[in-house]
Amino acid sequence: MSVKVEVIEGGVPHNNILAAGLVSTLVCLYLTYLNVLTSTQMFSFFGGLAVVAALVWGSHTIKVLCSYGIGTGVPSAGMIAFGSGVIAMLLATKFGMLAPVVALVLAVVIGLILGYVSNNILNMKIPAMVQALTEMAVVGALSLMGFAALMTGSFTFAGLTNGSTSVMGMILANHEMSFMVGGLAVAFLLGALAIQHPFNATLGPGWKQDRMLMLAAECGFLSMVVAAIMSFALISTGSALISLIIAIIGWAYTYQQYMELSKRDAAAWLNAKPIPDVEGH
Amino acid sequence: MVANIIFGIGITALAGALATVAGSSEDTESNIGSQGDPNSQVQLAPQMGFLHRIFNKAVAGEPPAYGLWCCLGAGLAWAFMAMQINPVLAIVLGSVLATFVQGVYATTAYVGRTASLAKFGQPVYVDILKSMTSVTMAHAFIAIFCTVTLCHLINTALGHPFPLPLLGLIWGIALGAAGSATGNPYYGKERQYQNQKFGAGVPISASGNIVRYAEAGERNSLDNGFFTHKIGGSASGICFGLIVFLELWRTILFEQVGAGWGAIIVGVLIILIFTVIDRYIEVWARKNYGPYTEVKEVSS
Amino acid sequence: MSAVAAKPAAGGAMNPTAMAVGIVMLLILVGIGYMVSPMVLTYAPAISPTFALMALLGVIIGGVLIGFGTHFVPVGGAPAAMGQAPGIATGVAMLAAGAGLAGLFGGAWAAELGMVIAVVTGGVGGGLMMAITCMMVNFVYVFGMGIPSASGKVANDPITGDSQAEYKSQGTEGHGLPFISFVGGVIGGILGGAGGTLIYLELLSLYEETLPGMMQITPAQAMPIAVSAAGMFAVGLFLVNAVLTAYNITGTIEGPHDPKFKRWPRAIVASAVASALCGLVAILIVVPL
Repeated sequence: MSVKVEVIEGGVPHNNILAAGLVSTLVCLYLTYLNVLTSTQMFSFFGGLAVVAALVWGSHTIKVLCSYGIGTGVPSAGMIAFGSGVIAMLLATKFGMLAPVVALVLAVVIGLILGYVSNNILNMKIPAMVQALTEMAVVGALSLMGFAALMTGSFTFAGLTNGSTSVMGMILANHEMSFMVGGLAVAFLLGALAIQHPFNATLGPGWKQDRMLMLAAECGFLSMVVAAIMSFALISTGSALISLIIAIIGWAYTYQQYMELSKRDAAAWLNAKPIPDVEGH
Repeated sequence: MVANIIFGIGITALAGALATVAGSSEDTESNIGSQGDPNSQVQLAPQMGFLHRIFNKAVAGEPPAYGLWCCLGAGLAWAFMAMQINPVLAIVLGSVLATFVQGVYATTAYVGRTASLAKFGQPVYVDILKSMTSVTMAHAFIAIFCTVTLCHLINTALGHPFPLPLLGLIWGIALGAAGSATGNPYYGKERQYQNQKFGAGVPISASGNIVRYAEAGERNSLDNGFFTHKIGGSASGICFGLIVFLELWRTILFEQVGAGWGAIIVGVLIILIFTVIDRYIEVWARKNYGPYTEVKEVSS
Repeated sequence: MSAVAAKPAAGGAMNPTAMAVGIVMLLILVGIGYMVSPMVLTYAPAISPTFALMALLGVIIGGVLIGFGTHFVPVGGAPAAMGQAPGIATGVAMLAAGAGLAGLFGGAWAAELGMVIAVVTGGVGGGLMMAITCMMVNFVYVFGMGIPSASGKVANDPITGDSQAEYKSQGTEGHGLPFISFVGGVIGGILGGAGGTLIYLELLSLYEETLPGMMQITPAQAMPIAVSAAGMFAVGLFLVNAVLTAYNITGTIEGPHDPKFKRWPRAIVASAVASALCGLVAILIVVPL
């Protein structure tokens, strides 16, 4: 991480990304509630879209924070975001329909306290620290909730802890086959890596905002692909298939767009060519 | 009872062997990808004017990255087993999908980091992208498959209470930590800075001046994997294999002794043995290599 | 971070006001824990009214052990990979997590043997992982690269008394793991493994008691959920505490002899507040609304 990190101006202001990310994440999370209203699981894929929206916002927050040089690598910021987010999210799932809003409030409280702790007690004195850690706790909590909704079709505590196995055609309740047992650890790391990767992979003097945000969407959709595959074990096959198809289309589009943007920004796009001659070496 | 212990020892040995393969493969994968701390030099070199054809796969540090790959492989295997798929097939399918995710992350990282270095004229090499990514994916598959299999053995055969994905997370992070700790210096110092003096650290003033030319032609990361696998990779494999084997071995054999204290005493004894070995290595180096003021002995 | 990277702003100084605020916050959080503690009896009438409070205190102690233990782990970051600085060449938070989680693995296995044995087993597991890793690091430095260990921060190794300066190659801050760093690594692994196991056991016992009543299922059915939730919280809390400590030492430390080690009181308060907060939220899950 020897790149000299600089605050780069330009592009969409952070507050706009914050507002858009927060609103679209909450809206997508609530759209999964259509599952309950229509008593199907077809709308689970909105959980995955909530993950994508939250990750796009979170990756920009990481950029704001890490522009100051926090002394450790970029990845650790993703770890603290999801470490604090997982706790807020699990408590919030107990509140039924209010869960996303409660998760938001709880994560804000946890993030504010952690921000105060690092900025004042640990004496880091980074201006963006408190706000950034608050935002990241919210992103962590909401994207975990999105993963939960994607994999189980619901964001309530009962939905997360119940599972069923079919043995010889009979459906049996089985708590070992629930999101809590199998999905939570995977969702945790999928999110923690996807939130830090966009900035970590595009940092440098030629950093461009649109390229990083496209990569964030790509990471989100990629996580959604594998989460949708896991969801086959927890929700009906048709619903999981809808999530998977949407995820694959989204991933293919964003990946292709990201490669285009990288081609635009790269010094050259060479195939099997030697190292270019540079004067003086 | 005895049959149980013999069965446990067999599983322990198998888990240790799988861990050794996983550790060795993990380190080779990360060295071909220049992942982890040596990545900083690959990133720095173009800024110092040394353009290169080395793969620059900055996904994250190895522990979080391998935490994800192994946890994801384990989670997918868990999901497939929940769908009544045979465990062997489930683990293979889970590892394949996790490897796919690893490959996508690798390509986006290389393209992204390199595009951000456009100011210094570092081009993106499509041939590097194609050939290195496939080789890292192959190594990553071996590492993920071995780790997920050993987690499955620990879970089902040895009866550890944690579910498979959580075990994947724990051992994935431990694998990355062991592999990066042991393997990074050998790649970072010995291979990247082959042009510097042997038997000494790289002077800070030489940072960025990495070796970019091979015996014939220009060096790429496959040459690095070929080189580092001989010591760095094997050492990482032994490191992770010892960790898994000794941890399981002391628990399986001695947990019933003295209501649990047996395993603790054996663990402390093993720590003391490794302390003695470490001290011996340190003193051996001081005696045989000598201080740096006598330049002749060191640089030979 | 290497030497060329931007130096972080965090200094070595303490901020007494913030420390006091932190301790007040800690007391408030424990107070809330005391208030809600009897409420879990709704789901588990048989346990003592202070059961949840004790669990919270256990989580705080575990978090502090992790935060304190991470200071001992010798990590050099990127410069260590080039033999430019002593320590292990990886990130401090993740190395501590690797050792601590390996300890948690052992501790969770020994959970049914009782609290003391499980916590000690977890500690030994973490220490074992670090002992093997540190030994292999020195092995690669000495036999792979021909470089003896040398510290850049002290003139003599505080344990063995070996002089360090003349074994430091030109233009570097030292390399490898001197004996004091090895011992620090093992101590850090032990503390981290014990702390992680303690958090897991406290939350596990709480969830085992309350989840059957809360979800209206049998204890056997609740077991996998209790294990997963407690395990996941232990991992989450571990990462929060390890990253906060990594912030405290700005990413690299040589071990207990490093001047940065003196910053530990800040990390103790920070870990205590963070663990109290997260532990309280984890307990509120089993409190009726």
